[in-house]
Formats: sequence, structure tokens, C-alpha cells
Amino acid sequence: MTDTNKPKKILLVDDDYDLLEQNKMLLESKGYLVVTADSVESGFKIFKDEKPDAAVLDLIMEEHDSGFILAHKIKRDAYGKTIPVFLLTSATMVTGMKFGVTTGEEKEWINCDAWFNKPINIDELSNKLEECFENK
Amino acid sequence: MDEIKPKVIIIDDEKGLRIGTQRLLQSENFDVDTAENGLTGIKMATDFEYDLAIIDLKMPDVDGITVLKAIKKAHPNTVCFIATAYASYDTAIEATKLGAFTYIPKPFTPEELLRNLNAGYERRLITLETERLKKEREERLLELAFEKSRLNTIVNSLADGVFVVNKNGELVLFNPSAIKYIELNEVILGEKILGILPPIISEQIKKILDNTTFENKTYTAEVELKPERELVVEIKCSPVPHPDGSLAGVVAVIRNITEMKKVEYVKSQFVSMVAHELKTPMAAVLGFLNIILNPEMKVTPEQEHDYMNRSRNRLNGLVEMVNDLLDISRMEMKTKQRELKELNIGEIVKGTVDFLELELKKKGVTVTSKYQDNLPVFKADNNEITRLFTNIIGNSIKYNKDNGTIDVNVFTQGNYIVTKIADTGIGMKPEDKVRLFSEFFRVKNEYTRSISGTGLGLSIVKRIVESYSGKIEVDSEYTKGSTFTIYLPFTK
Repeated sequence: MTDTNKPKKILLVDDDYDLLEQNKMLLESKGYLVVTADSVESGFKIFKDEKPDAAVLDLIMEEHDSGFILAHKIKRDAYGKTIPVFLLTSATMVTGMKFGVTTGEEKEWINCDAWFNKPINIDELSNKLEECFENK
Repeated sequence: MDEIKPKVIIIDDEKGLRIGTQRLLQSENFDVDTAENGLTGIKMATDFEYDLAIIDLKMPDVDGITVLKAIKKAHPNTVCFIATAYASYDTAIEATKLGAFTYIPKPFTPEELLRNLNAGYERRLITLETERLKKEREERLLELAFEKSRLNTIVNSLADGVFVVNKNGELVLFNPSAIKYIELNEVILGEKILGILPPIISEQIKKILDNTTFENKTYTAEVELKPERELVVEIKCSPVPHPDGSLAGVVAVIRNITEMKKVEYVKSQFVSMVAHELKTPMAAVLGFLNIILNPEMKVTPEQEHDYMNRSRNRLNGLVEMVNDLLDISRMEMKTKQRELKELNIGEIVKGTVDFLELELKKKGVTVTSKYQDNLPVFKADNNEITRLFTNIIGNSIKYNKDNGTIDVNVFTQGNYIVTKIADTGIGMKPEDKVRLFSEFFRVKNEYTRSISGTGLGLSIVKRIVESYSGKIEVDSEYTKGSTFTIYLPFTK
């Protein structure tokens, strides 16, 4: 990314429309360009079409591990592995959600760059995004 | 000897002696029978077991030795005396060899006779008592052997695995179930097994064996013998005491708790899911409030109003979900008291349609209905059946197209009261149909985006239908509509 003035494009995927709209607004308020999707399929399609600079994915969409699957697909992509991928979750350690990360393949699935709890703190999230962009 | 009179038979061809002896013995409290020749004597003393028999050696028909043999053969414990006037050493030897208690030389004095008879009778009593004791002992031994084999059979039939080790950790007893659970091939009694057992099991046993004093304490552990909850057992180890109270060994009982663990797992999955389903709307409401309260976000009054409205919708949904969850939990725990009444399904369906009139009007949906006359009554809880049809018909309105139709048909078929509810709504794809009745599942597509729901309605429907031994079928075509058919069995 040489053109620092050009706004960074963020792919935002969530199947909850309220949260999708909120997070889009929050990211836009920080000057990002936001493209959205509400499923793994449409998310990956938009990722391929739009080549975003980062992806922010909801962990639990229609299935328990939809977010993992999409993160996994993006990280396996030649372009995708160069961008930061964040996961959002409302399932915290407190709820005792078990993600089954026993096999090597499963561990690879959680190969994301950061976790954020919902609702997001936009300052934290954008700071982390900037940190990732700078370290690139 | 006071109450029970010894029974005596006198076998003698000499009438005078027969009667004289009889009188003498009767006066001495004996119960006396007589036989006037050898054959009659044999007949009487073999048909009936006398305590004592006095047999004359010389008789015209058969001799006393033959009579003695016959009686001894039939009743070995009858004490026999040989009476003879021709006493000789040889006959005495022969008679005692053949089982006579002794011989009495004729003529005999009453004292002589009585002394012999009393001694003989005493012998008989001792012999009988000895035999009784012997028989009793044999019976007890049999019983004991039977008891032992019965206990073995019981232990071997137990579904729970049982094995016992002694103080040295050597296997002293096991049943087939124990071997099945811990997969010990070719174990033999007497083998040291602590090293071969799964470590967590040996640990429990060692806890007891390492104790120097006997302590009545059971150690329990859960062991996942096959991963992924395929085989989970609970092992309980208890000390076995010696009669003196010291430690003899350890008895271990292995119980299969796989099913219980599976239920536990499903339950914890459900709790996780509930937590997520509750937290998502809260996150949405919190998110809207954060935006409204954030001065940097510069929200217009219209936007603010919209967010407030949407927050309220999410909170309403949350309340609805909590109510549904409480209903499910009540159904699961069966704490809900059912009031079984004779219901007319047609009337309940009709009432439900009327109740939902406002929703129908909002969407412009019209209902056509057909109710079979003389529907049999269905014994059920009115609230549950109403809830069932409210959820189904509510869905057929919610997921219908504007100005669509709903076709309701209630009729009997076999042993079932069948309710068919067909809508002209958005329908379902086959992959969605499969998961339709799972908790929190909601079909997600461009049509359902704006429709709110808890994802619990149909799961409640299924629980109610199944609790009445009924069934529910769904027929659906994506974008064309869905038909739900509910079968409730009635008793004729």
C-alpha cells in the first residue's frame, strides 16, 4: 500500500443486520471504505471482487463456525493471506463456548489476527487495524 | 422314652414265649407286635420300620438268619436281636456279622432282655441322630455350593463391570463386563493388574491400598475410555475389609455413563447457544446506544428515532425468546401442569385464525378453511394445543407474501386428526427444511431478513406434537409456499 491517502477498504461480514449497519457506520466514521456481506458465500465473493485491505468477520453466522470457515478461506487465498483478518464474537470465554481446536487443521482455522467482543469498541478496532497496516 | 414308645416286633413260632415276652415288654412301656413265623415276620418288619426286632433263630418256615437279612436290607437301622436256645459261638458271630445287635440266649430273664433292648434302643437313637446330622450337613454343603454359584451367576450377569484386587494388587475376581470396559485381554486371576489398568483407574485403587489403615471411603473417577464421548465410564473403588477389620483388598465397579455424558454435552451446547442468542440482541441494542451517545457519530434525529425503534424491536424479541425458553424448560422439566380436557381441534384452529385476525389484515392474507363434521375429541391441554396452532398459523402469516392465502383443512385419517395448513409464502430450500425444527434455527435469505423471530417457535411445536405421540410433516417449495401437516392421534 503505497498510496496512503487512499481510504482503506474493509470487508465487514455479519448476518445480524443491526450490527452490520452499526459497525459499518463506526468504521466509516474512522474514514474507512466499507463493503458488507451477510454470509460466508457472499462474503467470499465480495472479498474476491473487491480485494479489501482487511476483513472483519462475525464469528457466528448461520453455523457455529461460519466465521472460522470464512477466515480460513481468506487466509488460504494468495491475496487474502497478505491482509489482516479480525473476528468478532459475542461468545466470550464466560459462556464456555468450546471451539474444538484440537486438530492442526482446526488450529489453522483460527489463524486470525485479532479477536473483538461485540459490540465493538471502534477506537480499539481501528487502532489494531492501523497497527496491522503499518507492520505490513 | 416317656412319650414315644419304642416299637418292637417279636418273631417267634413259640406261642408261650411270644405272648409272655409281649406282656413283659408292654408293661415296660414298649409298643409290641408279634409274628408267629418267619415269613410273617419278614412281611411285617419290612413293611414297617420297627425300632427293635427280636428274632427266633429256629423257626419251621424260614430261619432267623434269613429274617435278619431281610429286615436289615429293608431297614438297616432296625436293631435286631437273635434269640436262640442253641446258643453257640458260631451262630453268635454269624448273626452279629449280618447286622444283629447281639444275641440273647434262651431262656432269658426279664432283666437280661430289658437290658439288651434298652442298650439296643439307645444305639438306634444315636445312629438315627448321627444320620440326621450327616444328612443336614450334606444339605448345607449343597446349599452353600448353590449359593456360591448363584452369586457368581449374578456377578457375571451384571451390566456394570466388577473386579476385586487383593492387598498386593492381584486380581482375585472379575466379571465379563469389567473385561469389556477396560479391554484387558487374557487377564488371569492372581495376576498383578495395577500396571495394566488405565492409569486413572489404578490411581483410585492405589489410594486405598496405600492407606495403612482400613478407611471406609469410596473413590470415584470418570474415565473417557474412547475419545469424543464414545465410551465414558465411572469407576467407584471401595475397600474390602477382612473380618478382623483390616484391609483385604479393593472392589471396583465400572459403570457406563456414556449416555449421561452425551446428554450433558448436548445440554452445555444448548446453554452456549442460548448465551449467544441472548447476547447478540443485547450487543445490537448496546451498539445503537453507543452510536447515539457518541458525539463524534453525528446522528440525525431521524436516525436516532430509527435506532431507538430497532433497539426496542430487539428487546421485544429478547423478551419473546426468554418466554419461549422458559416454556421449553418447563416442558423439559415437566413442571408444567397439564390440564387434560376433551378438545375439538377444529374449534381451536378456528379460534386461532380469529385471534390472528389483526396480523392477517396487516398483510392482506386471506384464509380459506374446511373442518370435517363430527371430529373426534382430542384429550389434551388447551394451552399447549392453542400454542401449537398459534405458532404454525403465525408462521404461515409471517412468512407469507403480501395478499397471499392460507388454506386450512382439518379432517380425520386413520387414527389421526389431521390439520393441514398450506400457505403461499416464501417456502424453503430443502437444506433449510431439514433443520427447521432445531432450536434457534432460522431460515436466512433475502425474504426473511425483515422478519423477526426467536428461532424457537417450531422447536416448541415439535415438542408439543411429540408429547402427544403425534407427528408433523412439512412440504415446501422455495418461493412458492409451505404446507405443515400435524397428525394428532385420537383414541377411538
